[in-house]
Parts: sequence; C-alpha cells; structure tokens
Amino acid sequence: MKRLLLILLLFAPLVTIAQDDTRNWATRGIRVGEVAVYGNRPMKDIGIQETKFDTIALKENIALSMADVLTFNSAIFVKNYGRATLSTVAFRGTSPSHTQVSWNGMKINNPMLGMTDFSMIPSYFIDDASLLHGTSSVNETGGGLGGAVKLSTKPAQANGFGLQYIQGIGSFKTFDEFLRLTYGNDHWQVSTRAVYSSSPNDFKYRNHDKKMNIYDEEMNIIDQYYPIERNRSGAYKDLHILQEIYYNTGKGDRIGLNAWYINSNRELAMLTVDHGDETDFDNRQREQTFRSVVSWDHLRDGWKMGAKAGYIYTWMAYDYKRDLGNGVMAHMTRSRSRINTFYGQVDGEYSINDKWLFTANISLHQHIVESEDKNIIRQDGNKAIVGYKKGRPELSTSLSAKWRPIDRLGLSVVIREEMFGKEWTPIIPAFFIDGVISKRGNIVAKASVSRNYRFPTLNDLYFLPGGNPDLRKESGWTYDTGLSFAVGRENIYSLSGSANWFESFIKDWIIWLPTTKGFFSPENIKDVHAYGVELKADLNLQLAKEWRLGLNGTFSWTPSINEGEPRTPADKSVGKQLPYVPELSSTVTGRLTWRKWSFLYKWCYYSERYTMSSNDISLTGKLPSYFMSNISLERVFNMKWVDLSLKGTVNNLFNEEYLSVLSRPMPGINFEVFIGITPKFKTK
Amino acid sequence: MNRISRITLILALILTSCMKWEYGLEEEFDISASGEGLFICNEGNFQYGNATLSYYDPETKTVQNEVFYRANAMKLGDVCQSMIIRDGIGWVVVNNSHVVFAIDINTFKEVGRITNLTSPRYIHFISDEKAYITQIWDNRIFIVNPKRYEITGYIDIPNMTMESGSTEQMVQYGKYVYVNCWSYQNRILKIDSETDQVVDELVVGIQPTSLVMDCNNKLWTVTDGGYEGSPYGHEAPSLYRINIDDDKFEIEKQFKFDFGDWPSEVQLNGTKDKIYWLNDDVWEMDVTADRVPVRPFLPYDNTLYYGLTVCPRTGDVYIADAIDYVQQGMVYRYSKDRELIDSFYVGIIPGAFCWK
Repeated sequence: MKRLLLILLLFAPLVTIAQDDTRNWATRGIRVGEVAVYGNRPMKDIGIQETKFDTIALKENIALSMADVLTFNSAIFVKNYGRATLSTVAFRGTSPSHTQVSWNGMKINNPMLGMTDFSMIPSYFIDDASLLHGTSSVNETGGGLGGAVKLSTKPAQANGFGLQYIQGIGSFKTFDEFLRLTYGNDHWQVSTRAVYSSSPNDFKYRNHDKKMNIYDEEMNIIDQYYPIERNRSGAYKDLHILQEIYYNTGKGDRIGLNAWYINSNRELAMLTVDHGDETDFDNRQREQTFRSVVSWDHLRDGWKMGAKAGYIYTWMAYDYKRDLGNGVMAHMTRSRSRINTFYGQVDGEYSINDKWLFTANISLHQHIVESEDKNIIRQDGNKAIVGYKKGRPELSTSLSAKWRPIDRLGLSVVIREEMFGKEWTPIIPAFFIDGVISKRGNIVAKASVSRNYRFPTLNDLYFLPGGNPDLRKESGWTYDTGLSFAVGRENIYSLSGSANWFESFIKDWIIWLPTTKGFFSPENIKDVHAYGVELKADLNLQLAKEWRLGLNGTFSWTPSINEGEPRTPADKSVGKQLPYVPELSSTVTGRLTWRKWSFLYKWCYYSERYTMSSNDISLTGKLPSYFMSNISLERVFNMKWVDLSLKGTVNNLFNEEYLSVLSRPMPGINFEVFIGITPKFKTK
Repeated sequence: MNRISRITLILALILTSCMKWEYGLEEEFDISASGEGLFICNEGNFQYGNATLSYYDPETKTVQNEVFYRANAMKLGDVCQSMIIRDGIGWVVVNNSHVVFAIDINTFKEVGRITNLTSPRYIHFISDEKAYITQIWDNRIFIVNPKRYEITGYIDIPNMTMESGSTEQMVQYGKYVYVNCWSYQNRILKIDSETDQVVDELVVGIQPTSLVMDCNNKLWTVTDGGYEGSPYGHEAPSLYRINIDDDKFEIEKQFKFDFGDWPSEVQLNGTKDKIYWLNDDVWEMDVTADRVPVRPFLPYDNTLYYGLTVCPRTGDVYIADAIDYVQQGMVYRYSKDRELIDSFYVGIIPGAFCWK
C-alpha cells in the first residue's frame, strides 16, 4: 500500500521547499526538514498562490535555461520553438505577454513585444525564482493577467575567496562553461558569474513533413523518401556575465549592485518544410543586453524600506540574407532595435504589531525604443527606414494592508494603479483571505479576487506596418480559491500539497492578424474565459540510512475558451479552446540520493494543442500530446583541496520523434556530461 | 502479474507513450473524369508550415481539403501563394518554403519541384522550357527551366534593392511580359521575354497589388495606397486601366478610391469583359466603363473577403473568407445574378484560386 501511495504521488503535483543553499543539490543532498507551520507564514504571503523553485531545480545543470526549469518543474505552458530557440511561457491559458517577469524587482518583459524569452535566462544565474499565479501577481505588478515570474539573485554568503568551474560537453558539439568567483566577509559579498554556451546544434532527425525526390534522366520521379536531415541553421553562441556586489552594514542596511550582460548570436533554424539550401541563406538573430540594478535596503524594528534604480540597454539585430550566387550574401531583411529602459522604485513596509502590516510601492520604467525594420528606396529615390521611435513611461503604484486578527485567519487588500504613457488604469483592487481549517495537517484555505489591466505593447501601437494606436488595454477579473496542507516528521518525511481553482475573464484580448494589405495588424478581438485547476505536491522521504527520495509533481487543467462574438458568420471559434494552449499539463520530478550519488528523473506532459481556433484537427495541423523524459546521474568527490562532481544527463530518454510547435524540429536522445571543480580556499 | 509489475507496466506506458510526429498515408485520387474544377491555395499561418491545397468540384459541389498532403504524404509547406496550370500540370508556389511544386492535376501527385528560390510569389510560362518566377525580398525575377526543374538565370530589376524587392503577377502580350511591383514599389515593368531584359516601366500609384489583361488587351491593376506612417507614402488607392497596344505603355484611365480604402484582388470573368475586385464589398465593372459603379456587386456582410475568383465558364463568383486567420476559411459561391449557390470550408487563409 505504501508503494502504491508512492506511485500515486508521482502523478500528484509538488511544492518545492525554498532553500538558501547555493550549492547544487547533489552536493548538499535532499533535506527532509520540518514542516512549515501556518502561524509562521509571513504576513506578506496572506492568500497568495505562489510556486517557489529551490536550488535543486535551478542549479541542476549549467546547460539549462529558465525555460527548461519551468518546463519540468511547473505546470505553466512553455512554448518551445526548438533547442536554444525562443521559449515563451504562459500561465493558465493566457498568452506570453500576460506573464510579467521581473529580475531583482525590475521588469524585464521586452517593451516592444511584451513577452520574455526564457531561453535567454540561464538558470545558474537565478538564485530565487517563484511564480505568482493569477491574482497573486497584483502584489508585485500590474498587467499579469496570467501571473508573474519573479527572478532574483542573492548574496553568495561567501567567507573568503571561492571559485567554482563547471565544464559541460554534450551531443551536437555542445559546450557549456560556467565560472563563478566569490569573495565575502562580514560586510562585503562579491560574486562574478559567467556562462558560455555554444553549439552548431545540427542534430539529426527524420523529417516527416518533407520527401526527397529521386529523378530519372528524363526528370521523372522514380522514388521518394523521408530524408534524415540535420537541424539546419540552428547554431548558437550565448555569453552571460553577472556581477554582484553587496555591502551589508550589519546595522540593518544593505546596498547591492547587480549587473548582467548578455551577448547572444543565434541562427534561426529552418522549418521542416523549407526547401531552400541552407548554405544559400543566413537567418540570424543577435542580441546584446545589459541589465543593472542598484538597491538599498533599510531594515528596522517594525518597518523597512528599500529603493532601487536600474537601467536596461538592449540591442537586437535580425538579418535574413541570401547568397546571390556569387558568394555575396545580400540582405533580404535587416532589422535593428534599440531599447533603453530607466527604472526606479521605492517601497516600504510598516508593521504596527503582529496583526497588521502595511506596504507601499511605487515603480517607474521609462522605455525609449528605436525600431528599424526595413531599408527602402522612396519614390523620390532617397533611402528611408521603415520603423518607429517612441518613448513611454510606465508607472505602477500600490498600497496594501494585511491583517491577521487571529492566528488562524489572514486578510489582505491591495490597491494598485498604473499609468502607461498618459493613460491611467482605473483602480486595480485585489483582495486575499486565508485561514487555517485544521492545525493538524496545516490545512489552509485561500481565496482571492482581483481586477487587472494590460496595456498594448509599443509594437502593438506603433510597429510599421500594422501598429494600431487605437487599441484598447486588455482587462480582466481573476478569482482564485484553494487548499494546501503540509505534514511530516523531521528526518523521516515531509509531504505538502495544494489544490487551487481559478477563473479568469479577459476582455479585449489583443491578437495580431494578417490583413489584405499583406502585413499583420493587432486588434482587440477576443473575450476569453480561462478557468481550471492547479495541483501541486511535494514529498521528501528518508528511505533508509543514506537513502533519500524527493518527489515533486504538478498538474494543471486549464480550459481557455474564446467567448467573444463570431468574427464572421462562418466563425467556428466561439466556445472553443484557444489555439496552442494545452488543456492539460503535468510534471513529475523524482530525485534519489545515496551517499554521494544522486539520480534525477524529470518528466513533463502537455496535452494536444489545437492549431486552429475552431479546434478542428487537420492532417497538416496536428500537435498530439507531448511527453518528455530526462534523467541525470551525479557523483560527488570530496577531496582535501577540492570538491569534484561528475554528472551525466540524458535528454529525450526514449528518443522520441516529436514536434512542440508545427514545423520546428526537436532533437532525439542526446547526452551531456559535466565536470565541476570547486577548490577549497582557506577561510578566516 | 503481481502488483509491482502492474504498476511498473502502467508507469512505463505513461512515461514512454508519447506524441508521435506522424507520417502521412498516400491516398489515390483520380479526378480526370470531372470537368471544370477549382483549386484553392490556402496560405496557412506564416512560419507554421500549415499551407494546404483544396479542390472543389462545382458540378457536384464537393470539396476535398489537404489534397496535396493526402496524395503525397508530405506537407505543402509555409504560405501557399499562388498556382497556375499548364498542360495538365499544376504549378504551386509556396512562398516561405522557397519552392514551386509541380503536381498532376488529376491525382495531385507531385511530379517535380523547383527549389532554392528566394521568396517566390508567382510563376509564368514563356514556353515549355522557360518560365519566370517573381519574388519578394529579391530584386531579381528567376528564370527557370520547368522541364529540368532548374534555375537557369535571373532578370535584374533596375532601381530596386534586394531588401525592398518585390515583383508580383505577370501578364504576357506578344513577347512582352508585364509585371506589377508591389511592396514599397509603384511600377509596372515591361520585360522582353526574348532577351530577358526590363525594357520599360510605368509608374502608377503606391503598391499595385494585382495585374490582369482584358478582352481589349488593356492591363488592369489596383493599388493599395500604402499605409499610414509609411515612409514610402500613403495615398488614396486607385484602379488603373493601362494601354499597351501599339508599343504604348501608358495609363489610359485612373479610377480613384477614397483615402483609407483597401482595394485588392482584381480579377476577370471568362470573357474578360468584366473586372471584379474586393474593397470591403465585392465590386464588378465593365472593362469599358468610365466610372466605378455606385453599388457593389455583393455588399459587405460581416465577412472578411480575402480572395476572389470568377468561374471562366459560368461567371459564378467565388469569395474567400479568412474569418480569424487561424481556422478553416470559408469560400462562398455566388451566381452572376448574386444568388448564393454554395459555401464550403477549405484551409487556413484561402488566398488564391486556380481553375482547372
């Protein structure tokens, strides 16, 4: 029976336990700690639905991006266009631009596109990551109609000098390198991290979408076959450098500097249905981004305040060239964009007693965007650039009051207001409540409701051609309710889980559609009703002396239904699931450790995604359900002068031929080995 | 089987049974017995590779969708732009797949393909062994040998850069081929098909979208006028009748539309004495008319008209509704007396037609 219970838990969802330790989990092992007791829950968390990722998930291996972490550790949908290619995430059946993403408090959604490419965020650069589902995002920011992703870094807690170097070598000539240098004492914490990843990424796959012809001399087809092709034009080289400096006065003040530089050069892989010769085309995206935040935190008894200032510079280039037949590569498309974002934020918390907490926050992001999409020759013969230059301030301010009248009950009200450009949102209210139903089992019930708005992106408004300055902001109501529990015995087991129901109504959903003029243009066309269930569970077991097992699981059922008016009399999309949004998704992660060995099994599942708004399934538009399994095995060696780790991973364990998005090839089984070296320096 | 084995089996099934990227199954078609037939090019969504080809039999009012995939067990590709038929072979231009497929029009089976094109839009035959393929994002028209499926040369377009290159539909009169240049362009080109050189050009309005030749050997084109904010300009679109007789190449008549109108898809009936176009409504006009009719042929009916064709035999008018561009579009068939005869779902974004 115990075994059966264990198996069932594989399919139940998981909650991860936040860990401060920045070493990887194999080095540190799985903790079977005490169960969090309701009364110890922070006031700030009253009623919120949050999924936290621990270092086990974030520091699994250096080749992972946050897209990979979210794919295998949460039930939010990660739309992956290929290996080392654009990956966007969407909560609860919403679109990627409905997910607000912050890094150390600063919003990093691209102001032109609204979304964030999670394949460009190495998970080794993130020390703290959490998802705020639905209404809970209003605590942090506006515009998260689906939710918010909070990413941040933390001081290394080093004592003296530290160094960590990891080298990964994998299939398709993939090389991943990670270096971290740290220095710390009672006041200073300094850390430098660098990740460099490169690969020709030319994995082999059998192309089911295309056949090759064999002709006779008269050019009659005498045979056809599905070719085994390589992923064409998919190479990448990504460099990330992160510098952090913290100074702690030891008297309640901390000053921090975080600076993150990205230099990415990625080819855009050819579609499975492309009959061009890869040597004749160069399709490439380059990006250089610099993000920096300076922060000051001031803590005193009963109150604290903080201030942040930041700056983001992004340069993006897209070049699509072809060989003219003489070796000269001529531009078919040459687009450039430059984004400057200035950021400032002040926040404060004041606690009258242990029953009341008040918070206030104001943040400003000033974007200045320059987009150059095409070079043309005007009618008068002069050159011109199709593009736009625009600036927009985005102000967001919030006040909240949190009240815990009795130990078992918590109430929270948040009032937020935002201004984008010159336009203000109406007051955005959010209300949260939670209460302990049973202290035995720490069973807590939660409920929340919020209004929310999302403004059109700068491309939505101004992109040439097609930008629509008459767009209205999207608006929505979201309701959440759920139960959570946590039980366990220290050093024997811990089990926690939650089940939530949510409901969202989004009006004026913005979608880009083709026009009869040959370009796309956005419109407010859809009203969407998204609802469903999110389940999470986490189990940690001390199986025997030196044997530990950790199991995590998530499950989501997220119908996302178009409830707008029929667009034309023939429209069959009303009442149907939105295209490319899976109704079901699930993840399971199992970790087993024995002495210095550790084994990890990761599994994820997405149900069939419709490719048509009418939910018709055609032969050419089929994306059946998607299962994926990855494993890794690690051994740690602790020596006098150095800690060594050796890890092997296998991705796509069952060598499945599959597609995540139509016409985007995915790799079959592939391998990578990692060697980690952490010298032991003398500490004070 | 003990409990552990059963659980292991269930687990193994769940963990390993996964989505399969399916192979197609080849179906046998033979529509040689049917008389006229209509091919519908469904563009599909850009970058998703879900373009399809539909076939409609007007006699039996039946439609077959995805015929290319079903006959060949492979995908047509990304953005099916246009199709023409010559000697029983259909030439299907698939823009973002850089390919033109040749298919048997009765079995829909592929008989060959021309590959590695830049961004093909339309194909026009000069002879059995020579055809032109126009391109967008290229300042050349490709010359191909359709018998060998080979690119044999290029026509360089003067005063056009690669990046804003755009050549579109082609019409032949004698040895001259006329081509409208659309994206960030304003010209009709005249090409000598013997020398493969551009010999003349005519400036019309901003962005001429289509080109046909009527029974009086007059060319017709319609401009879309550009768009608001375009550095190339934005103006009221126009319909143009162009005189090409007697070595002339001049605008004979300009029919101006209102600023902000979006006319497109100029088409002819079978006798080529009436032209049709879309401008929210569907419009019809005699080719000798001096002004645009006051009332449309078919008024706007909450339908997003995206494609248009006229049956060369019966004069029936077919209009494609792309709906929301991410579901199967609908084609409406009207008689020349404006009676709705039939309607049928095809593929995603039906944009072009080709009569068998």
